[in-house]
Amino acid sequence: MPAPVVRVDQLTKVYRTRRERVTAVDRVSFEVQPGEVLGLLGPNGAGKTTTIKSLCTLVRPTSGEIEIGGVNVRAHPYRALKRIAAVLEGNRNIYWRLSPRENMEFFSGLQGIPTRTVRPRIDQLLERFRLVDKANVSARKLSRGMQQKLAVACALIKGTEILLLDEPTLGLDVETSYELRGALKAMARDHQRTILLSTHDMNVVQDVCDRVIVIHEGRVVTDDRVTNLLHMFRARAYRFILEGRLEDRACHRLERSFEMLELHHTDHRTEIEVELLDSAALYKMMDVLRESGAIIESIDRQDPNLEEIFLAIVRGNN
Amino acid sequence: MATLVMIKAMFKRYAIELRRYYFNTLSMLVSFYLIFILLFYGVQSLANGGQQFGDALNGMVVGFMVFYLTVYSYAELSWVLVGEASQGTLEQLSMSPLGFGRVLLARIFAALVYRIVIMFLLLLLMMWTTGRWMAFDLWTLIPLLLFTMASVQGVGFVMGGLALVFKQIQASLGILQFVFVALIAAPIERFPALKFLPLSWGTRLIGDSMINGTHIWQVAPADLAVVGVTGVGYFAAGFFVFKYFEVVARDRGLLGHY
Ligand SMILES: Nc1ncnc2c1ncn2[C@@H]1O[C@H](COP(=O)(O)OP(=O)(O)OP(=O)(O)O)[C@@H](O)[C@H]1O
Ligand SMILES: [Mg+2]
Repeated sequence: MPAPVVRVDQLTKVYRTRRERVTAVDRVSFEVQPGEVLGLLGPNGAGKTTTIKSLCTLVRPTSGEIEIGGVNVRAHPYRALKRIAAVLEGNRNIYWRLSPRENMEFFSGLQGIPTRTVRPRIDQLLERFRLVDKANVSARKLSRGMQQKLAVACALIKGTEILLLDEPTLGLDVETSYELRGALKAMARDHQRTILLSTHDMNVVQDVCDRVIVIHEGRVVTDDRVTNLLHMFRARAYRFILEGRLEDRACHRLERSFEMLELHHTDHRTEIEVELLDSAALYKMMDVLRESGAIIESIDRQDPNLEEIFLAIVRGNN
Repeated sequence: MATLVMIKAMFKRYAIELRRYYFNTLSMLVSFYLIFILLFYGVQSLANGGQQFGDALNGMVVGFMVFYLTVYSYAELSWVLVGEASQGTLEQLSMSPLGFGRVLLARIFAALVYRIVIMFLLLLLMMWTTGRWMAFDLWTLIPLLLFTMASVQGVGFVMGGLALVFKQIQASLGILQFVFVALIAAPIERFPALKFLPLSWGTRLIGDSMINGTHIWQVAPADLAVVGVTGVGYFAAGFFVFKYFEVVARDRGLLGHY
């Protein structure tokens, strides 16, 4: 395995206010490999933002060490910052009085990169995020989704190997969210960018992340590949409701073919809950139902509920 | 090299924002011009002409000019920090690999250069409309202004640091204005030790240059040294205090919050 680009070791952050002490992050450790897309998943107040801000020097850790590309952030913050670009919570991070093009020019300048060398990349990013028409309009006049895309583009223009994104899809409509996710996936795949993003949206994790760290009350409760996690939480659970009672022969066949299956029936209707991990399994399920002549009343995909996942994980941990 | 690129980017952004908000810029110019003219005719009607009138007026023009630059120099950083924080861009500035301090210095420097240029243009316009010409030796004025404003910026850094951590400092900024008026008018002739306060001695030398036409090489080296040392000293001490508040802000997770 190559050396990790991000190494977080026993990161702890305690905020002290006049009235109280809040342990926002509690001995968190993880590593991120080059080109990996890592999701930080957790409910409100879990410590996602604090973790991300510690990585990019905005928050000074109480204890623990962070290395970016082998550089210790505490000892050499500026060297570490050369390798990081971050987009923080909310549709901000950009200058509303500047146009998208001016914003990108400014942020590359802030990184010490002359405008002339980034011009072609600016055009590419405008294209990729479909902002070409708006390239010279004040950012204030863009829609919220466009502003968020611009914020990500301004981070990408810095050309750093690591990208930190705090809730990048929050408040975006479905289409814009897809577009942004597509761009992130492409960045990781084609340009070997390492991405660390926080979210409480399971769909985002499923769609773009290779690995996910679940944090809860400042602690890492799970660190696993997304596919494993989904498997664990019956992420592809379906519920079929059929008219009438499904014949016994079909019931047996289903029970033999699918491991995770629950059947309930009354005289008027049959309810099947089953986990189908890929489309082959779904087709097979449909074949059995068709052969038995069942009439399907409804099919529901039961998306995993984040709350349930947390409850399950937290319970599992105790 | 990278630092030059950053400074250029800062100047460019500042220029773009001024251009977008040209109405602001314009109304500021007009109001300052009007104040100058009012000062002129006000003092004229009080003094009924004569040598005394000339000195009083010139002194007032110099005082006003220095006061204007001062108010902006000490408050600029706080405004920048509060403005960027409420826009949500402060975090980005503080993540520059060239350093937050350097980035802010570039921004303040851009503003100072712009204000000195505006000030000189206004002065020229005023002298032209009133027909009273004052000595205007840039080789003397620019270094004196830079060092004098550097001492004010020292106070500005302290205020900026407070703004970073405590956010609500508008009231104290307002009160400080009066302190600066006092510093400009400090009775140095009676208490020479006051030379070592920020602003006071520099203002006196600037006035000397504009009113009596004193050139920089005619000023006693010891007097120049006081301007230089107080300028650099207050600036460095202020910057040091600002760095301290920056650490506090990163510690409490306040960078960017507003
Ligand atoms: N600057 C601060 N001062 C004091 N406490 C803070 C500060 N920032 C965060 N906290 C506290 O630290 C804890 C973790 O907050 P954090 O913002 O890291 O969570 P999060 O996972 O990003 O939550 P969200 O999903 O709501 O964005 C919370 O209890 C929060 O109240
Ligand atoms: Mg957060």
